[in-house]
Amino acid sequence: MQVTVKLFGALREFLPAGSGFNSCQLSIASNQVLGDLLSQLPIPAHKPYLVIINDEKINQQDYLSTNIQEQDEIVLLPPIKGG
Amino acid sequence: MSWQKQILRVNLSNGECTIEPLNMEWANQYLGQRGLGSKYLLEEMDPAADPLSAENKLIFATGPLTGTMASTGGRYSVITKGALTNAIACSNSGGKFGAELKAAGYDLLIIEGESDKPVYLHIEDDQVELCDADEVWGKTVWQTEALLKQKYLDPLMRFASIGQAGENLCRYACIVNDLHRAAGRSGVGAVMGAKKIKTIAVRGTIGVKSADPAKFFKIVNDVNARLTDRDEMSADGTLAMIDVTNRFGSLPTRNNRDIQFEGAEKLNPEAMQTPNANGHTNLVTNAACFGCTIGCGRICKIDPTHFSVKDKPQYHGASGGLEYETAYALGAAVGVDDIDAATYVGFLCNEYGMDPISLGSTIAAAMELFDIGAISEKETGGIKLEFGSAEALCTIAELTARGEGFGQDIGLGSKRLTEKYGHPELSMSVKGQEFAAYDGRSMQGMGLAYATSNRGACHLRADPYAHDFETTEIAGKAKIVKDTQDEVAFIDSSGLCSFPAGCGWSMDDYRQLVDAACEGEWDSERMLETGERIWNLERIFNQKAGFGRKDDTLPKRILEEPAPSGTAKGLVCRLDEMLPEYYQLRGWDDDGNPNAETRKRLGLD
Repeated sequence: MQVTVKLFGALREFLPAGSGFNSCQLSIASNQVLGDLLSQLPIPAHKPYLVIINDEKINQQDYLSTNIQEQDEIVLLPPIKGG
Repeated sequence: MSWQKQILRVNLSNGECTIEPLNMEWANQYLGQRGLGSKYLLEEMDPAADPLSAENKLIFATGPLTGTMASTGGRYSVITKGALTNAIACSNSGGKFGAELKAAGYDLLIIEGESDKPVYLHIEDDQVELCDADEVWGKTVWQTEALLKQKYLDPLMRFASIGQAGENLCRYACIVNDLHRAAGRSGVGAVMGAKKIKTIAVRGTIGVKSADPAKFFKIVNDVNARLTDRDEMSADGTLAMIDVTNRFGSLPTRNNRDIQFEGAEKLNPEAMQTPNANGHTNLVTNAACFGCTIGCGRICKIDPTHFSVKDKPQYHGASGGLEYETAYALGAAVGVDDIDAATYVGFLCNEYGMDPISLGSTIAAAMELFDIGAISEKETGGIKLEFGSAEALCTIAELTARGEGFGQDIGLGSKRLTEKYGHPELSMSVKGQEFAAYDGRSMQGMGLAYATSNRGACHLRADPYAHDFETTEIAGKAKIVKDTQDEVAFIDSSGLCSFPAGCGWSMDDYRQLVDAACEGEWDSERMLETGERIWNLERIFNQKAGFGRKDDTLPKRILEEPAPSGTAKGLVCRLDEMLPEYYQLRGWDDDGNPNAETRKRLGLD
């Protein structure tokens, strides 16, 4: 199935080639979990980010137990500061 | 060295301008800028005085690293009793003015008394004169700079000016330097307007020397290499935050009724950098302040066909554009998703000298008053002040800038405005200063930081961001807020910007620069104690001005109305649980007063 992944802020440099300004469509098998999806993105291990799916923050320890649904929008946010 | 070791004192009541030695004992205790300016303010004025009276003082303060080659070493602060808050005000700005004042030979410029006619101050190193300001009084910030640069035939002269908002005593008038950088918050421009001083025009040729130049050069290079995330900040500026807070659910929207804005993606970096239907792109380029190697500033153009400027060619050029706080205040806070309208009102803020955060938040409060029927078109002069109306936003901003019609009420700030119309609960403020662009329900640490900020609600007085995005659990937040308040107080007293801390620097990088630039040894313990001393000094000023625990609070909406959406849906700010622990960590009594042991330890008796 196809899901929409949005990478905001500086994370957008890790979008696959041909993506939009800060989003892309990724193909995943119907039984895949969030951790499988994230592994498709070349984000270095030292780069921190938050994952939000449908207004719910997903903690890192839950990446491998969070199932992805077809209508989900997966949002990755850099924990920046200031303003 | 790096301190110039002298201050310029200007008495507007008798016209005297004197150069005095800097009190080096205080400099060694309070470092510079925010800390040192606050020390002078507390020593020299009665904190209970009316901020718009001659008793108030207006201090322009540089730090020891202002004007040096350290990255971001262009900062200065304006310290005074705030016209918006009646609390201590310290408003920080970049641009090039601060470095120019320092290069003219001064750590501090202290303006006291009040003039009986409009004047401006002209400084060229040790040549200082007060001049009649008839030619620029009533002019905008931009006109003032242009007229005086032409008069002195010096395009490199730097200015810190008020616009008509300051002249008209708009409670959140700011002081604008270099056309679009500003000492923005707490109404420092109204204090300048009350003293009838239009602008500080400065040219400095003396330069700045560090205590150990070879060591300083090396550390400047070393720490510059550690700004590893600078490209990310220069690409999108602070505006990158709008996607984070909107998705997280901490973007104050429609006067904090909501905390996610459906129009945020019309105001975000993509919207700023992508051509619109007319082929117009808002962003022109980024910009940097003196000595900055990051460049977070935005230089933007309004679509010339947009309703706000289509008949106003003077606004078709490039100037300072939206940053995160302005996109919040002139966008989400008022429910407007029109990037050109928000950019236009941002231009007005720079041109007329208004704090866009307080302006936007006050208009948002007025829109809620309008929405519930507490005010009508009768009060607004026919303006349908509805959430989401870009036209109403632009019109009321123009009136406020000029001090006309209902704009006079908007110029009161949200606290005074909502009190006037019987609904003080609708002011999203602390100590009279409007919220910045974060909601204290989904960011509990920020709620505590707002409530305890000495200058009223502020997002730059502490650094709880990472922990707040990590968890809404309150364990540990009091300590994070307290510790980072002290760290930020040190940074704000150094002459440097706080943004390198978000681009790779640790506190030790700041410390090393101060240690190399200044005499004496500045170790970590001294750094943190200095920050803590500054925070407590500000607190003591506020105590003497009448503030106490009753003022360390948040609006009812944040304490009682559950977050309506987002990752923290259903939560309120648990301030009452965090505040006692915070007081304990600070060494304050139950009323929030620094206890005897704390005062003695920090040398504050």
